[in-house]
Parts: sequence; structure tokens; C-alpha cells
Amino acid sequence: MATTVRYSPAVSSLESPAPIPWHIWCSALAVTLAAVGTHWDISWHRTIGRDTFWTPAHICIHLCGILAGVSSAWLILSTTLRPDSPLRNASVRMWGFRGPLGAFILAWGGLAMITSAPFDDWWHNAYGLDVKILSPPHMVLAAGVIAVEVGALILALGAMNRASGVEQRRLNWLFLYIGGLQVVLFMVLEMELTFRSFMHQAHFYRVVATAVPLVLAGIARASKMRWSATIVAGIYTVFLAATGWILPLFPGEPKLGPVYHPMTHFMPPEFPLLLIAPAFALDLLWQHRGKWNDWLLAAASGAIFLGAFAAAQWPFANFLMSPAARNWFFGTHYFSYAQLPTSRYARYLFAPTETGGELLKETLLAFAVATVAVRLGLAWGNWMQRIRR
Amino acid sequence: MRLLFGLLLAAIPLAAHIGSPDIFYEGKAGPYRLLVTIRPPQVVPGVAEIEIRCASPEARKMEIVPLRLGGQDRQFAPKADVAQPSREDPQFYTGSLWLMAAGSWQVRVDVSGDLGSGRLSVPVPAISSRTLTMQRTMAAILLPLALVLCLGLISIVGASVREGQLEPGGLPDAVRRRRSRYAMAGATLVAAGALFLGNLWWNSEAGWYRRYVFKPIELRGTVESGSRLMLRLSDPGWLNRSLDDLIPDHNHLMHLYMIRLPQMDVVRHLHPEQMEAGLFEQDLPSLPSGRYVLFGDIVHRNGLPETVTAEVEAPTIEGRAPTGDDSGGSAPPLAQADYNRIVFPLSDGYRMVWQRPAPPLLAGRAMLFRFRLEDEAGRPASGMELYMGMAGHAAFVGTDRSVFAHVHPSGSAPMAALSLAGNDNPHAGHAMMAAGIPAEVSFPYGFPKSGKYRIFVQVKRAGRVETGVFDAPVEN
Repeated sequence: MATTVRYSPAVSSLESPAPIPWHIWCSALAVTLAAVGTHWDISWHRTIGRDTFWTPAHICIHLCGILAGVSSAWLILSTTLRPDSPLRNASVRMWGFRGPLGAFILAWGGLAMITSAPFDDWWHNAYGLDVKILSPPHMVLAAGVIAVEVGALILALGAMNRASGVEQRRLNWLFLYIGGLQVVLFMVLEMELTFRSFMHQAHFYRVVATAVPLVLAGIARASKMRWSATIVAGIYTVFLAATGWILPLFPGEPKLGPVYHPMTHFMPPEFPLLLIAPAFALDLLWQHRGKWNDWLLAAASGAIFLGAFAAAQWPFANFLMSPAARNWFFGTHYFSYAQLPTSRYARYLFAPTETGGELLKETLLAFAVATVAVRLGLAWGNWMQRIRR
Repeated sequence: MRLLFGLLLAAIPLAAHIGSPDIFYEGKAGPYRLLVTIRPPQVVPGVAEIEIRCASPEARKMEIVPLRLGGQDRQFAPKADVAQPSREDPQFYTGSLWLMAAGSWQVRVDVSGDLGSGRLSVPVPAISSRTLTMQRTMAAILLPLALVLCLGLISIVGASVREGQLEPGGLPDAVRRRRSRYAMAGATLVAAGALFLGNLWWNSEAGWYRRYVFKPIELRGTVESGSRLMLRLSDPGWLNRSLDDLIPDHNHLMHLYMIRLPQMDVVRHLHPEQMEAGLFEQDLPSLPSGRYVLFGDIVHRNGLPETVTAEVEAPTIEGRAPTGDDSGGSAPPLAQADYNRIVFPLSDGYRMVWQRPAPPLLAGRAMLFRFRLEDEAGRPASGMELYMGMAGHAAFVGTDRSVFAHVHPSGSAPMAALSLAGNDNPHAGHAMMAAGIPAEVSFPYGFPKSGKYRIFVQVKRAGRVETGVFDAPVEN
């Protein structure tokens, strides 16, 4: 049992709704910078091909780390040094400092991102310039970005769980926004396995099931709004679609060869996956069967996620392969300069669907993965529900 | 953590030449004469630095683009980069290009200006030539950061369990404190596991990279049956290079320099015959006995040049004049080297004069090494001929043998690679001169580092190959 020694009304919102604190805005902005910078950087590599440390996309990503690090450091220092800080009673202690839990996570993320910069530079000198996304320094950067996301979530959540009424609702929206960008960034990690050519393979659905149900379940469980999963998927959809419409407005030309597809403008990401369909189905399930045992709920959620997602994405993939999708809205006529003209992707062909035992194995694995992901998400959400600091 | 201290550059011979990775080329792009220097990256993918000096002030724009040598990707060339003129010297242009894969590349230069437009291509071997370990300063930055991140992660987990779910103002009880300690222990294991797996991954990546670090073909030389030089090549395995993919350069599969050690007072320029893949043989011409260093230039089918090297003990061989394109010469021993000497006496009273620029000679600077053949009256020699299709051949050799470069008047790229680059017949210019080869020959080159060098220059006159030898101190 915890022993209460004092209570600061400053952290409650019994009176008129307080504005969202600046540090929560900063953390949301940091996550936005990471999401924008990451997609910009990928587009840069698919359009121009080569880069330097000082490209706008890289600056955008590292601004995320700097903003997260500086704002959280300021928050921690002010909470530690100011006895009248409104957050003092709602803070945790670490190494003699005091601050909201999310601030420490944000600071860790910012430091990890900053650490990745000299590490990555050395890596390039030792092993060559970027040829792969997955490298140890890039993973340090990714760990930093993920920590910034989690820190931003926890920072918003701590305030949200302490607030009520209009203030809580505002914070809840911000919490869902950060959750939506978390889906965006997780899907970046799975990007190379989720191109449209793979959408008629069970493996594709297994890949998507590793991360998306976890985030949807965790955010929805911790959120205090009814359609949280749908909103999170909607934010992912709007962000990615808008990115896909905005990037091709900017000029860009390949600086590496061979150039199989002449380009004059930046390459957009693929049209967003129809995650909104399974998210809506999951919201319905959780609204009506939310009291089920978490494992039972996870199994049902896993099955519904896969079923609803496949029911929407499979036929939509047919449309994406058709000439009707080759326009600015769906963007399937864009190709990276390096895309081999003989590839399935460039020829609008699907990779063969698994058959027989392979199909069964992938389907069962997808179900198992989705179930475990939802269960982990529910556990994470349960933990987040109780966050107060 | 795989943090090794100190910068250790493995002493790996570079593909073209030994210890002299930069490419120098002098040629014409249409109406413009260019001296092109390409400094390839030591790690691939990497950035090559390009320097171009244009002899004509009429050039207005210099565009550079990298392409695979001999590949089919010319039609898929990316947008060219514009090399930037120097403010101090508007005829000197610089730029940089990414070379994305190991192997044989070319840099295409397009020039346009008041005289019209022109193009030339310079072959560039892109090779990872070093293994870099972490510098002390970098380790001093990264290690504390890594430590802070690990300890921070553990502490954050502890704080979240201890206090994260407490109502504001509450203090953690014993149960929360105990759980916090358990959680921190778990986080320690996770952090240790992440470091362990990260280290495995790092080692795996480093191992993957090492496969791409250039591994030169190994050479073993012996003299058998009294005068038969046997050269056995073995391939340690590197990318798709092999021993049976050699193409002729000036009609020879191998150009071999044989220099007596340690005084470098005897040189032979030979052309062993390939008997089978990996085996070259040569009947040696007259030779004083001693230990010789061998530098054998070969070119692979994809245009990648390589210099194989070894040492061999040779007996005295007498009464065998060099035949065909083989040649040789002698010089004062290194111990008696005169670093101010610019005149080298030749047969019949002729002499070779190095039109040496005012000292000091500086490392890393591209320049033209000009040599003139004079008769005994000091007049430009007549009767000059092409030697293997070229106005001359030069070998720049570090006296410590860490540098060897075989250079032609067009530069350090082999003719076979220049042909693959799609330039006009590189011999055409010389063939046109054949009727009246000038007595002066120049070689574009830059010393890679400071030290003492011996330069062997060979030209052909009246059916005879003349070898001039000069010594050069080079400063940084």
C-alpha cells in the first residue's frame, strides 16, 4: 500500500480545464518530427538515392531527439529544483532528479538518438555508406525514436489519468494522436515486407499482425474513449495518405544509378493499409465483450483483426494493382528510380499466394502472432491505465 | 562491446598498383584537355573525390557521373553532378560522387563551353581496402553514452515500477520497492542481453564487411631450370574475380616489373606468358644475381586492374638480350642516390632529362612528370618510337616498396580499362603521332605519401628501349 503524505491540487483539474502543458505539446511535436522525418528520408533515398548527414530529412529526425531531450531535461530540472513545481508530487525519482516518468523516457530516447549520430558516422567510415536500413547504429536510433514515442505516450497518459472532464478528453485526443503515429512508425519497420505485391500472401498478414494489434489493444485499453482503435487507425491513414499526396509535390531527381525509372518529384509511400477496418471491428468487440478474460479476448481479437483486415485489404489490393489506382490519390504509378522494371512490383503482379500446408502454417502463425500481440497490448494497456506520474 | 582502440589500417595492397589508390588521367574531352584526379573511397559504398584541371579557359561547365565499367547501365545514368570551379583557379574543378558497390567503375566527364562540348571517361576501381577499428576518441565518447543509456534504462524501469502508478503525493511502500528491485534486475538482464546480441550482430556485420575488403591475388615466384621464371598465382577469393578472367593490356596479360633489392639498381620490364590459369612463365633475360621484388600488373575482364607482388631469388643470367617488348636498365644503387639529379645518361651519348618542377615535391598533388630525350648535343632526340603503343612507360616505386604505380602518358588507368570505358581508342593519339613521336613524354601522377621514390622511365628510340632512372624526395 502506498502512503499518502500530501496532495497537490495543482495536478488535479477539479476546476476549469487547464491548457495542455507545453512539455506534452513538445513531446507530441517530437513524435511528429520523427514520423515526418522518417518518411521524408525514405522518400529521399527512393528518389535521390544518396544523402549527407545534413539533409532536411535527417535534420527533422534529429530535431525530434533534440526537442525530446531538451524539453524533458528542462522539465526534469525544473521539477527537481523548484519546490513549488506543480509536477513535483506527480513525479518519480531517479539519480537524485525528479520528473514525470514520461520525461525520463523522453530524455533517454533523445540521448539514444543523439548517440546514434556519431555512431552512425563512424559506422559509415568503417563499413561504408548506408546500404541497409537494419544496422546497429540505426537500431540505436530506432530505439531512441521508440523511446520518444513511449515517453510521449506516458507523459500524456500520466496527465490524462490525473485529469478529468474536458482536460482529460483533450489529453486523450493527444494520446490517441501519438498512438496513431506509433502505428505509422511501426509500419515503417515493416515497410519492406508489406508492399502491395505481398498483399495476397498470408505472410503479409502475419507481418502486419506482429505490431498493429499490439498498439491498437494497448492504446484502446488505456484510452478513455470508445472508438480509440478506430481513431488511432484513422490517424495512421490520414498521416500516410497526406504524406503520399504531399511528397510528390516537391521536385527531386535521382543522383545514383542505374535509373530505371526517371523521376522528377519525390517518391511517396504506398497508400495506407486499410487498418481502419480491423480497428473498427476490434472497437466493436471490445465495447461489447471487453469484460472477457484477457486471453479469451486476445484470441477473439486476433481472429477478428485478421479476418477484418484480410476482408478489406485483399480485394483492395486487387484494386491497387489495377490501372484505376494509377493516379495521384492512390499513387500506384510511382516507382523508385532503382525499382527493377522486371520486378513483380513494377509489373503490378502479386507474389504467389502460399498453397497447401504453407498457407495453413502461415495462417495459423498469423493467428497466433495476432493473439499474442493483442494479449501483450492488453497487458501494456492495463499497466498504462494505472500510470499516474 | 566490440570497441577496439586505435586506428589500424591493414596494409592491404590496393587493386591497381600498390599503396597508390588515386587515379590520374590526362586526356581530351572533345576540344578540352583535362587532367583528372579521382580519389576513390577506402570503404565501399563510399564517396570518391574528383579533381579536374582543364587546360582551356573556354570550358564553362563540367559534369561528372559514375557508371559501372563495361556495364549496360549507360542508358540508366543518373543526373550528373556539376563539378564546381575553384574561386582562386577557375580552371580547377572539384566534385564528389558515390560509388555504391565494389568493383570496376568509371567516372564520365562531360565538358561544355565556348569551344563546344566533349566527353571522356576514367576507369575507377572501387574497392574496400581497409579495416577500421574504433578510434580512442570515438570510443571515449560512445562508451560513456552507452553506459548512461544502459544504466538509465535500468533506472527508468525501476522508477516506473516503484512510483509510476502511485497517486500524486504518495510514497512507495516496501512491496513496491521490492518489485522495483526485481524489475531492475530483469531490466539489467534485458540490457545485458541486448548488448550481447548487439555485439553478435556487430561481429556478424563486420564479418560480412570483411568479405568485401579487397584480397589481392597472391603471387609466388621461383626461378627454375636456371633461367625460367615461374609465377604461380592463387586467388584467396574475393567477389567474382578469378584467375581465368584476365584480358590483355597492350597485347600482354601481364606487365611485370622486376627490381633488384635492396638497392633498386637493376630493373626489368617483362611480359610473362600465361601457360594456364594462374601460371605465368618467362625466360629471363640477362640479369645479375640477387633478390628481386616483382610487381605484376594484370587486368580482369570487368576492367579491374590488379598488381600482384612477390620476391624472388635469381641467379646470374648472362648472354640473353631482352626480346619482344621486354626491356631493362640499371641505375646507381639507392645508397648513392642523388635526389637533385635530373639528367640520366643513356647509351650512345643520349640522355634523359627530367623537367622537374621546383622543389619540394608534395604528396597528394597531381602533376605532370615531364621527361625529354636529348642527343649528345642537347637537341631533342629524333627517331622516337612507340613502346607498346605508348610514348612511354613510367614506374613510381617507393624505396620502402610500399608504393608501386605503373603509369602511362594518359595516366594510371590501364589501356584495357580505358577501352571498356568507351573512350576513343586510347592508342589512336599515339598512333597518329607515330610518324613523329616527340622527344618529350609526360606522365600524370601524384605521390600518395611522403618519402623517397625511385622513378623508372622507359621510352623507345631507334628500335631500342631506353630506361632513365630518377630519385625523388617527397614531402607532405
